[in-house]
Amino acid sequence: MAKSADLVQGTLDLLILKTISLEPKHGWAIAKRIQQVSNEILQVQQGSLYPALHRLEHQGWIKAHWSESGTGRKAKFYSLTKSGRAQLEKELASWQRLSSGVNLVLEEA
Amino acid sequence: MRRFRVFAMRLQSLFRTRAADAELDAEIQFHLEQQIEENLARGMTRQDARRAALRAIGGITQIKEECRDMRGINWLETLANDVRYAIRVLLKSPGFTTVAVLTLALGVGANTAIFSVINAVLLSPLPYADPDRLVMVKEVVPLIAASPIHVSAPDISQIRKLNHVFEAVGGICLWTYELSGISEPQRVIADRTSSDVFKVLGVQPLLGRAFTDAEEPIGHHVVILSYRLWQQRFGGDRGVLERTVDLDRIPYTIIGVMPRNFVFPLPGMSQGPAADIWVPLALTKEELSQIGDNFNYAVFARLKPKTAITQANADLQTVAKSILRTYGEWAEANHQSLGNFDLGLVAQPLNQQVRGPVAAMLWMLFGAVGFVLLIACVNVANLVLARAAGRQREIALRLALGAGRLRLLRQLLVEGMVLAFAGGLLGMFAAIWIKQGLAAMIPPRVPLFREINLDGHVLLFTFLLTALTGFVFGLLPALSASRADLNHTLKEGARGASEGHAQQRLRAAFVVAEIALSVVLLVGAGLLVRSFERVLNTNPGFRPEHVLTTSIDLPVEQYRGRFASFFQQLLERVQQSPGVISAGASTDLPLQGGWTHIFTLEGRPPASGTGANVCFHSVIYGNYLQTMSIPLLRGRYFNEHDTHDSTGVLIVSQSFAEKYWPRQDALGKRLKWGTQNSDSAWLTVVGVAGDVKQGPLDRATVPHTYQPYAQLGAFSSLNLAVRGAGDAENLASTVRHAVWSLDRQLALPPMETMEQVIDDSTLARRFNLFLLASFAGLALLLAAIGIYGVLAYSVLRRSHEIGVRMALGARGGDVVRLVLGQSLRLTAIGAVCGVAGALSLTRFLEGLLFEVRGADPATFTAVLFLLIAVALAASYLPARRATRVAPSAALRHE
Repeated sequence: MAKSADLVQGTLDLLILKTISLEPKHGWAIAKRIQQVSNEILQVQQGSLYPALHRLEHQGWIKAHWSESGTGRKAKFYSLTKSGRAQLEKELASWQRLSSGVNLVLEEA
Repeated sequence: MRRFRVFAMRLQSLFRTRAADAELDAEIQFHLEQQIEENLARGMTRQDARRAALRAIGGITQIKEECRDMRGINWLETLANDVRYAIRVLLKSPGFTTVAVLTLALGVGANTAIFSVINAVLLSPLPYADPDRLVMVKEVVPLIAASPIHVSAPDISQIRKLNHVFEAVGGICLWTYELSGISEPQRVIADRTSSDVFKVLGVQPLLGRAFTDAEEPIGHHVVILSYRLWQQRFGGDRGVLERTVDLDRIPYTIIGVMPRNFVFPLPGMSQGPAADIWVPLALTKEELSQIGDNFNYAVFARLKPKTAITQANADLQTVAKSILRTYGEWAEANHQSLGNFDLGLVAQPLNQQVRGPVAAMLWMLFGAVGFVLLIACVNVANLVLARAAGRQREIALRLALGAGRLRLLRQLLVEGMVLAFAGGLLGMFAAIWIKQGLAAMIPPRVPLFREINLDGHVLLFTFLLTALTGFVFGLLPALSASRADLNHTLKEGARGASEGHAQQRLRAAFVVAEIALSVVLLVGAGLLVRSFERVLNTNPGFRPEHVLTTSIDLPVEQYRGRFASFFQQLLERVQQSPGVISAGASTDLPLQGGWTHIFTLEGRPPASGTGANVCFHSVIYGNYLQTMSIPLLRGRYFNEHDTHDSTGVLIVSQSFAEKYWPRQDALGKRLKWGTQNSDSAWLTVVGVAGDVKQGPLDRATVPHTYQPYAQLGAFSSLNLAVRGAGDAENLASTVRHAVWSLDRQLALPPMETMEQVIDDSTLARRFNLFLLASFAGLALLLAAIGIYGVLAYSVLRRSHEIGVRMALGARGGDVVRLVLGQSLRLTAIGAVCGVAGALSLTRFLEGLLFEVRGADPATFTAVLFLLIAVALAASYLPARRATRVAPSAALRHE
């Protein structure tokens, strides 16, 4: 099974950071949220989500704590760290530059 | 902050892997349940919901593994895991591990021990301030010797006055004294030392003070003690200053004690061993009048800062010219001519003076012991490779299951490192043990001025060496194993362990390398053994059995005018003692060197441009030649009629007679000491004695002359030689009794039999020989293990083939030939490489060889035979095992 073939390399990190920038979320919620907001266009495979979360945590961009989910069960919630927030700004800027560049080429050509 | 959190997390994950795994489980489980609930909400049955959820999430194990990898980009953790795994794997094959670790421990231990000697002798700074600026000043007198010699007494002050390059210049002269006035009298090594020497060396006394310039002239009886003597004789009493001791029965005041690490002079600096005491140089009028004579004063100087040795030598040339001019003036005033006497001065770095003579030998040993380590490494690499072949399936399986090659490589390398460090640690303990043995064996000519210990440098060396060895024998097999062809191995693996051709070749190459290295060491050791044998078979010119010697030094002032009568009485008493066959005395004993004299033959002035005639000269008393069994070839011994008033007589050695009076009768010929112009009396040859090795056994015999003590008189010290009927050592009490019956206070040094004197003269040779032979033996043992390992494995691997051959009618003999053939092929290739290597490396041994060429055919032949014998012995067991292969079993193995 191809992993996140439908997501440009590196964009998953950006989406995760953005998704948890407002409030801490657990993995399931993050996947759901990305799906919903993108009108079901973006499907996040669990096979890439959790490794990505662990990598981000390992890099220090996000941190995790265990807390009760809406259903009353214990879940692992991820939230941005201070440096993660800065990283989000950086990645957003570079994404916008990239996508506007791509758009320009597509419109001109 | 982020960096800290990341680090904290890595540390955490290192220690909390289990907890982290549980968390991961819970997290994935939570996700799964959410998915199931969602599926249920969509109206699926519980079973379907669960199945769909599992399908959606994919391989849970893989996700977990990947998550672990994400946080496991933690080299610390992997390393810890690899090490743990390696230890577990190694403990599972205790046989292999023991052999490997012991092999490495031997290699590392021997290297560490030799390096600790090199570190102490060659690499540590000399125990003086700023030793790089220290030089020895020597005189070059072509008339007397080809190489620079020490300095003549009157020249010391000239050098000090006239040079522009030295901060300070000082001289010493070796002396011995009877130390008494405190418990048992004892002979001590002294150096008469000018006050400047301590300035030159830049060392302050531990207690008290050094000599002042005012104490330089004669009459100041002050003494400085070495730390060792202070400890031994005064128990380290700090109140020792201003106390008096008797030196040759004259009271001297102790003014200082030198620090513990001050060892001076070191071998290479002067003729003598390190001093026990120092007294002022105080050159006598007589010494100062010895113009152009008696070059026996070692001169030390400290270069001014930023002065190069070349500058110093240029300056010394002008100094030498000035000195030569004063010689000329002096000769003129004494109605003499200098003739072709020439004088030069040269400064030589102290470091080089001290270490130069032993550096080559120590580095040679270091190279040899390095070979041993290399062989040990190759051996272990071979073992690892053999094991890797057995583990080929494990490795291939892990590769097939998705283990990264790099990861696998690293893990094999870690295995190598774990082995290496186990070996290294054990090797360190071995080194402590080995170096104690070494320290006791180190010949006295090696400048050892500090303890040999495993200090920081040595430990660092061992650490790097261990890491390097681990890398060397870990990497090769690792590379070869991780490159394994999966399909091939898994298929072959089904038929039992096997290894590819590349590995077989690599292992064969290892064995060949081992054999070649062993050959080089064996040849080196063989050449030294042959040289040693030649040295021992050299005729020393005397018969050492049953002869005891000791040196007798009379306190000069107390015995002035009575030297001769003392020695006469002593010889009489000894001679009359029971068990004594004969007794005599000489200024010099064989093998211990001696004084060289310049002489002129009657009617034969030396041709200009050639050096003066030089010979060893001994003054003898009593039946010295008879006692030593030095044969009298012609003429007569000295007798009681050769007195002060009779004609001066001389006995010359055979080589002397042949060199200076070839095909003539030496008896009746005359010569005198000094050059043509000297006013010493003519001496008539009355006898020709056999040649004696006055210098070391492995040096050419030097022409030698003997003169009777009675005609010269004034020697206060002589070496006594006593021949007895039985064991020489039993004569000691006889001699002691005779000496003390004349003077109860006289200090006697330890007595030595002439056999011990011979032993002492070969100490350095035996040291080298012992070490090189041990290394070679070790190398051969390791090579034998290597050959055995390869063959045993090869037989195991080929048991199927052997079985088929036997089933087809091959006999035991054929099978044995098969195995031995393989062994001999490897041995032959290794031997050829080794011989080539030995031929190119023996030049490093040349200085140690004696009457044996580097390309000695006998040595090479013996080494090859030994090698073949060992190779065959090592192949015996595998060959026998091969003949025991049961054809049916081998075929069933299929």
